Amino acid sequence: MEEVIANYLRPRLGADTVRVSHLLRIPGGASRETWMFKAAWDAGQGRQAQEFILRKDPPASLLDTDRETEYAYYASFFGSAVPVPRMRWLEPDGGVLGGPFFIMERIGGCEAQPAALMEPRFEPVRPTIARRMYELLAEIATFDWTATDIARVADAPSPDRCWSRELGHWERIIDENELSPQPIVRAAIRWLRANPPPPPARIAVVHGDYRVGNFLYTAEGEIRGVLDWEMAHLGDPMEDLAWSFNESWQWLNDGRPGGITTVEEACATWSAGSGLAVDGDALRWWRTFCDVKCQGIWLTGTKTFHDGRSDELILPVISYRLVNAQDEALLRSLGRGA
Amino acid sequence: MRPDPGRVLMGLTSKLALTVAADCRTPFGQTTAGHAAALTMVLAQEVDRLPERLYRETEAVSAILEDALPLLDRTLAARVRETLANRTSPDLRISSLQAANDAVRAVLVDVHAAVEALDSAAARAMNERIWDELRESTRRRHVVMA
Repeated sequence: MEEVIANYLRPRLGADTVRVSHLLRIPGGASRETWMFKAAWDAGQGRQAQEFILRKDPPASLLDTDRETEYAYYASFFGSAVPVPRMRWLEPDGGVLGGPFFIMERIGGCEAQPAALMEPRFEPVRPTIARRMYELLAEIATFDWTATDIARVADAPSPDRCWSRELGHWERIIDENELSPQPIVRAAIRWLRANPPPPPARIAVVHGDYRVGNFLYTAEGEIRGVLDWEMAHLGDPMEDLAWSFNESWQWLNDGRPGGITTVEEACATWSAGSGLAVDGDALRWWRTFCDVKCQGIWLTGTKTFHDGRSDELILPVISYRLVNAQDEALLRSLGRGA
Repeated sequence: MRPDPGRVLMGLTSKLALTVAADCRTPFGQTTAGHAAALTMVLAQEVDRLPERLYRETEAVSAILEDALPLLDRTLAARVRETLANRTSPDLRISSLQAANDAVRAVLVDVHAAVEALDSAAARAMNERIWDELRESTRRRHVVMA
């Protein structure tokens, strides 16, 4: 694989020779394979080296998303107040590496795993990281996407259609992927249709998977990179706020988003940064919706593995760990918990 | 099978988590061994109880469907009767028990939607009974996962 990547990079870097080393698959990345490598090459300015991240589509995964769209969101935010890795190449031809992929520059010196953030060494900077997390989410919510690549790849719904478009999308995914009937998620979908949220004040970029675990942070309390834009779309910014609160990433199981803040503090920081109010009814709707969306993702991974389209063991682990837990969370969201 | 499959799977969990993972050279390999250990731990818990859980749940849901019949329109009532008439699994294979369970829970979804739309004391009581069953269904599926 190193040689294939080196051959791919040679003309793109304008180099006679490229040496690829330290190729390592990074754990996680249940929807795309994530690889890290170092490239060294000779070009006009002499010997150069750079660490890269390669994200490759597997034959099947937890999600089926459009890599061109993800690439466009990364590229549009590069250089903005929201730090993202610099994208370098998008390769739609699956023949090069056995699946389409893109390559971006690696942001070094950071942690990404939620478990590390829960360690005592991060305790002093956890409040800073929590504040930055929601300041950056406010930046995403107020980002002017109209003159960027996002306008080319994404459809902007009218404000009154944000909720129905997302709910319809995830209901279709559940329809296509449930292996067994899901009475709890079906009851939740009925509730969501019967109790629509108010329209948002603005159509915003929705990251789609904004949570502790999808950004790079440092021991000094900085957030240096917001990652995993594969579910990004345009819609109601409340969706991202609600998603970040989901129980699936309350890593300490203590009701605190990401294990690092409270819902109240997060809402206050986000509102102050974005100038957008947090409507209680809207937040409840989007939190329940996010439980449905999560279940759609878990059920997709379940079917992918069941059908033999992937042998990645993280998929059944997610099925066994999260499908029933998500049903329990839905019961609580609907006021039907134990 | 002796040793019991559950015991074998727990032994496998232990080996994967404590021996194989430690011998893996890459973080991805260690993580994959950890996933394998987590899966065998779940299977160890489920292998003995899964047929019982599927059978009991199919019976519990069937009882609800039968009691809901007076509340349903003719079309849905006919579907419920047909499902109940065919609910008995032809054998004790897990796949057969799962198919029977899926059949009654699929009808339960539609019965629940129908009952929710009715405004009567009997419908409200049936709605509560269905929610009780859904809560219980999540308890039945609890597994411990490291």
